[in-house]
Amino acid sequence: MTAEKRGADNELLIVRTFDAPPAVVFALCSSAEHIKRWMGPKNFTCPHVTIDFRVGGAYRAMIQSAEHGQNWFGSVYREIVQDKRLVFTFAWDNEGPAAGIETLVTITFQERDGKAVQTFHQAPFANVERRDSHMGGWSEAFDKEEAYAEKVAKEHAA
Amino acid sequence: MSDRLSATLSALADPTRRAILARLVQGQATVNELAEPFEISLPAVSRHLKVLESAGLISRGREAQWRPCKLEVQSLRDVDDWLSTYRRFWEESFDRMAAYIGELKAGAGHDRRKKRR
Repeated sequence: MTAEKRGADNELLIVRTFDAPPAVVFALCSSAEHIKRWMGPKNFTCPHVTIDFRVGGAYRAMIQSAEHGQNWFGSVYREIVQDKRLVFTFAWDNEGPAAGIETLVTITFQERDGKAVQTFHQAPFANVERRDSHMGGWSEAFDKEEAYAEKVAKEHAA
Repeated sequence: MSDRLSATLSALADPTRRAILARLVQGQATVNELAEPFEISLPAVSRHLKVLESAGLISRGREAQWRPCKLEVQSLRDVDDWLSTYRRFWEESFDRMAAYIGELKAGAGHDRRKKRR
């Protein structure tokens, strides 16, 4: 996974180091009261989070901003390894390009020099099994992405 | 929009189809050319192409025999927009989490100082 820094074109990979032990960061990601304090982009608040924190348990949350109103999302926990790993599905309720498309979020927490290295991965849900068994081929295929971008740029310029 | 994006994401979920797209990055190609690197039958490749075409990821020329496949950039751009929305959502959430950790630490320090008094 570490070699797969970029991830694929339809996947999101974000690696962050937090100045706290992994157990603390895990707690911040798994308690409703903590999540309310950080969930959502800047200028958003997260006034509502309910969590049934067990495998198969549902969570539901809402973020809001003056500009964008209320945005609800939620789904189900798939995997919980205390202080180490969280896997859950994620889907937005509301309208918009991402509405109703279920994705799978995997967050792992590792300790390095007393800090937590959090590896966050999100991908369309149906994708996951295949992706895990074909990671090599996929990433090699899309090493060509830069060439692709250049080509597109040229086509547009032409 | 959502259905279209779902179709695009679902089409991208297959490694053979992604490899086909990667090949088309280099330019138009025929079914035979696209099938060459794979150990699968031509009809199987054609099925993949149908999925890619209905997801709007490729288009196919109208010449009867030689129907070259061409990458359609807009669908990939939609996927990219979808991803960047999520990226912003999480990146900024994690910024807030880092700030919150700072607050928690400052708070813990404050508590300790109070206890010592």
